Order: sequence, then structure tokens, then C-alpha cells
Amino acid sequence: MLDIILSQTVSGLVLGGLYVLIAIGLSIIFGLLGIVNFAHGAFFTLGAYLALTLMQLLGWPAVILAPVIVGAFGMIAERLLIRRLYDKEPLISLIVTFALALMVEATVRLIYGGIGQPFSPPPFMAGFIVWGPILITKYRMGVLVTTAVVLLLLWLFLEKTPFGRILRAGSRDPEMVGLLGINLPRVLTWVFGLGCAISGIAGVLAAPLWTVTPAMATNAIMPAFVVVAIGGLGSFAGAVIAGLLVGVVVALTIQFWPEASGAMMYVFMALMLLLRPRGLLGERWERFE
Amino acid sequence: MTIARTRLGRRSALLGATGLFAAPHIARAADPIKIGMLLAKTGQIAGQTEYLANGSILALEQRNNTVMGQPAELVWLDEPSPQGATQNMQKLVQENKVCAVLGGSLSSYALAEEAKAKELKIPFVCDNAAATDITGKLCNRYTFRLNTPVAVQQRMLSPYALKYGKKWYHITASYAFGQDILKCSRENLKAAGGTEVGADEVPLNTPDFSSFILKIRQAKPDVVVGGLSGGDLTTFLKQWNELGMKGKIPFLEIAIGDTDIWGVGPDAANGIFTKLWDAYNPNNTPEEKAFATAYQKKHGKPPADKAWMGWITARSLFESIDAAKSTDADKIVDALETWKVPAGDSSYSYRKFDHQMLVRNLAVSVKDKITDKWNYFDVKATLPENPADLEKVFGTPEEIGCKMG
Repeated sequence: MLDIILSQTVSGLVLGGLYVLIAIGLSIIFGLLGIVNFAHGAFFTLGAYLALTLMQLLGWPAVILAPVIVGAFGMIAERLLIRRLYDKEPLISLIVTFALALMVEATVRLIYGGIGQPFSPPPFMAGFIVWGPILITKYRMGVLVTTAVVLLLLWLFLEKTPFGRILRAGSRDPEMVGLLGINLPRVLTWVFGLGCAISGIAGVLAAPLWTVTPAMATNAIMPAFVVVAIGGLGSFAGAVIAGLLVGVVVALTIQFWPEASGAMMYVFMALMLLLRPRGLLGERWERFE
Repeated sequence: MTIARTRLGRRSALLGATGLFAAPHIARAADPIKIGMLLAKTGQIAGQTEYLANGSILALEQRNNTVMGQPAELVWLDEPSPQGATQNMQKLVQENKVCAVLGGSLSSYALAEEAKAKELKIPFVCDNAAATDITGKLCNRYTFRLNTPVAVQQRMLSPYALKYGKKWYHITASYAFGQDILKCSRENLKAAGGTEVGADEVPLNTPDFSSFILKIRQAKPDVVVGGLSGGDLTTFLKQWNELGMKGKIPFLEIAIGDTDIWGVGPDAANGIFTKLWDAYNPNNTPEEKAFATAYQKKHGKPPADKAWMGWITARSLFESIDAAKSTDADKIVDALETWKVPAGDSSYSYRKFDHQMLVRNLAVSVKDKITDKWNYFDVKATLPENPADLEKVFGTPEEIGCKMG
């Protein structure tokens, strides 16, 4: 039995790693911009389709450009649309970002068609590794390692660089940051682009595993919101822990109660929020505590 | 003079009035005959509905956009949800004045739509949904259906699965389509004296199957019988290959669509399936070959099986309206009940007692080496192998349980 649990836990960590990457961009955007970005899944889809196109045109190394391009799209979206929502009702930002998601999906459908696009892991990552009871494919191992590296770089960026300090200061007191002569609107554009680029990385990594269709964001966006809610809105470490936990909970539910595997993450979220309404590492929400 | 002028005035008024009353009739004669199309425009199923719609549109174009010798047009509305689909069906009938409706991309939508068709008394020809109840317990006079019911397809596939062994593992979707497959497959396995070594019901839109595949590895079955649909089947087959299972344990499933397997890609595709039609089948009828050529010319690629499904249902409806010589719902229904066209050794027609189209299915397996990105399958057999068994395979009225309301 221990063998089975170990094996499923590793499988869950890979899934959780992808959820972390999708959720972390969402969390950063909410934490620093105060926008609940319903279009986040659309940037995940864009990452997958751009990876597919770049791979077909220029080969596998070019795939690394996909998140950069997604980030650039995100910055354009922020300049044209999102920045008009900063001082508006939260409901308006929900509606506008949802509309943006539909528009991106429709555009992808128009260009690539509605059916799934074939996309397999690169040949140099084919095959799998067996360690005792644990079986993991080389590609999934690559996903785990890439996720860890991206998270480490992101943490260093936010915690150890002057730009990161400006971001954190801007999220707490934007007026003071402005008075210090820092162009905060430009900073926010970069933040939104960064969040979208991370979602794009998740899309690139998921494309060889999942089915690449215009609606693929459906499978990504709900778990991302669950992870953010469990981890605590705006919390970096919270999203990481919650994402991995959700992945493992789903994998173990598949082993012991497969019919409930789709619902279990929501049950887990409900339990967690009942016990701790601000999420694992979210800031104190006095209204509810 | 005055009287004459008055008389003239009255005559003119009478003529004018007659003209006013006649005008709508003249206008109506020039109006095209409208046929509704209810197919999802977004969501996972939209990849298939695009082809269903292409097939129906081409069927009309091949008739120079006419039905009963009059201009005709298709009005396409969305199926956002079962409730949204029925609202759109009502809109098609009451606002767009359609005389019949094609559609039903998912079983859940089609079950809601057929109830609405009965309420509105409008002919509804379902082109994709496969739930057994559509032409079973929930059948009605106004609903006709193309796709072979799950129970019948499963009955056709099971003998193939038994060739590989009697220890089966089921992995099926946890909604009507998958549950139907699981129930029928278990019955067939039990009748053959086999054993179920595992069964998983998978939530819709599952992104990661690795945990399910690990369970299958642990159970060591002779065969895996699937009941996944659309994007879920594509994802499963990709990950089945990624985890090194391709070629290790045979995977079989009913009702594969070309669009499902195209998304898997030539490296990962594998399995044995049933399907209704294949563009590369040498036994296709001359009309089907002409359709495939016209489709290739228009869209630059061969038609998927879903395109044929859209085409044959639309064709059955257009030809029935021609035969009825009327857009009256009951006359169209009567004509659909007697519609029949040759199909090789057998024919395509709807059974009168349940309105189910009788179609022989194909048993196909994925080619060992795929060189054409549109041609993944080798046709292994046409089922049932004896055309005379067709009626029997689809079930007797007692087995079907359809009672027309």
C-alpha cells in the first residue's frame, strides 16, 4: 500500500507543480494590482499554442520564447484595458477580464480551428524512470524541475531585487511610491506582464501532456482559483504549498475514490476556508475572523 | 360623375385591400425555407460541432441551397447548456420560423432538446448524441437520431475485446455517455464469463490521467475498455503513450471521432474503436465519395466522420421535406419515417417504431505507421458482419422500450 501511495504522491506533485505555476501568476496580479483576472487561463492557452507554433516553425529551443511573447501580450492588454479597471468596482474587472478570456479563445479558435492539436513531449525527454515503486516520465521530471527553478527565480526577483521591493511597496502604499518619483503605472504594466508570462510557462509545460484546444483553459483556471483561495489571496508561499497539496489530494483521491477526484479539491478548499478563512498564508481578513 | 368616381374609388380600395392581404403571401413565397441547426459553438465539443455544421452546410450547397425547389437556409444557434439549448430551440421555432431542427452535439443537450421538440411539435434530427434513451425510453414522435446507441455499439465491440482476454479494466466518463458504456460493457463481460479487474469513473475534463494509468498498471488487465469522450479521450491516449503503455495493454472504445484521434498525434495514437464512417473506406457509396470530394475541395482536407454525420442527417431531412412537399411538421415526420437510401449491402433509414437510423458500424484500429496526418485508421470489419443482422443488433421494440407519445 505504501508503494501505491508513494507512486500517486509523486504523480500528484507534478500536477500540483502545474497548478502552482498557473496560480502564482494569478496570485501576484491580485496581490499587487487588486484585479481578479478571469482571463488568466486564456494566457495559459496562448502559451500552449505559441509553443506549438514555435516548435513547428523553428524547433524545440524556440519554445522558450513563448512565455516572453505571452508576457508581451499581457503588457499590451494591461495598457489598453486592465489599467482602466484599477479604481473600478471588482465586478467590472470580473466581467471585463471574462470577456477578454472569451475573445482570446475565439481568436485562437479562428486561427487554429476548434479541434485538438497534436503535441507530444520532445524526443530527448521520451521514456520514463522507475525508482522502486515510483514511476515518473522524464518529461514530468522536467516539469517538476522547471517549476522549482521558475519559483526560485521569481522569489529571488521579488525579494532580492530593487524592482521587487518597489512592487511590494507599491502593493501596500501606491501613493507613497508615486511621491518617491517612481512611475507606478509602468511598474504595474510589468507586473501584469510577469503574471501572464508565468501562466504562459504553465501552458508551454502542459501542452505535451494535456489536449491543446482553444478551451483548454477550462481545466486550468478553476484549480488555479482553488489554489489561490486555499493558499491565501496574494500569498506567494501560500500558492506554492496549496498547489502541491491540491495535486497530491487529487492523485490520492483517484487511487481510493476515483469518482470524487474532480470534486475533492473543492471539498478541500471548503474545509480549509472553514478552518482558516484567510487561507493558509493569507493576510488577516478581519471581517471574517 | 361623383357616383362613378366613388365606384372607381371603391374598386380601387377593394383592389388595394386585396393587394394588402395578398402581399404577405407573395412575400412568404419568396422567403427561404428555414431549417434550424442547434450545435455548440464553444467548449470542448466545439471541435466536433464545427465538422457537423460543415457537413450539413455542404449537404444544402450540393442541392444549390434549395429544398422543395425553393431557396432554403440553415439558421445556426448555440447550445451553451441543456437549458440554453432548449431556449434556442424555442427561438428557432417561434422567431426564426424554422420547419425542422438538426443538432444535439452532446447527450445531455439532446435529451433536453428532444423533450422540447415534442412540446413544440417540431421535427428534430439528432446528429451526434449517442445516449441510449434518446430513441429508447425517452423517444417521441418528433425526434429522429443518427448515432448508434451506446448499448448497440458496445454489443458490436465486446467480441473484439474478448479476443484479447477476459480480464477487463473499465475507465469511463462519470456522466451519461460513460455510465451507459460501463453498464453495457459489464453486462457483455458477465455474459462472456469474464472478470472486471478494475473500474474508474472519471470526472469530465480531467487534465491528468497519470494516477488512473498507474492504477491500471497495478491491476494488470488483459484489456482496457474505455468510455471517455472528446478531449478527455485525447488526453488519456497522449498520457497512455507517455507512460509507456502503448502496445503493452490493448485499449478499446466505441465511437471514436476523427477529431479525437487527430489531436492525439501520430506518435501517441493507438487503440481499437468503432466509428460510423471513414473517409478512406473503399466501400463508401458513390454519393459519399462525391461528398468527400466536394468537402476536400471546399475545406482543403478530407471530411471527418462528424462531417459525414452532419451531411447524412441533413440529407435525410432535406429529402424528406422534398418528399413531404410541405413544411408541415407531421408531414415531414411521416416522410422521415419512410426515407431510405442505399448504403452498399444495406441501406440508411430510420426505424418507424423508435426513429433510430440503422447504420452498420466500422471496427477500426490505429495504423502501425501513420504517414497521412488525416488517415489514422485501418478498417478491420463492418459490423454486424452479416447485413441481415442489422435490425436484430439494434434491438427489438421490447428491448428498446420506446413508446411514441
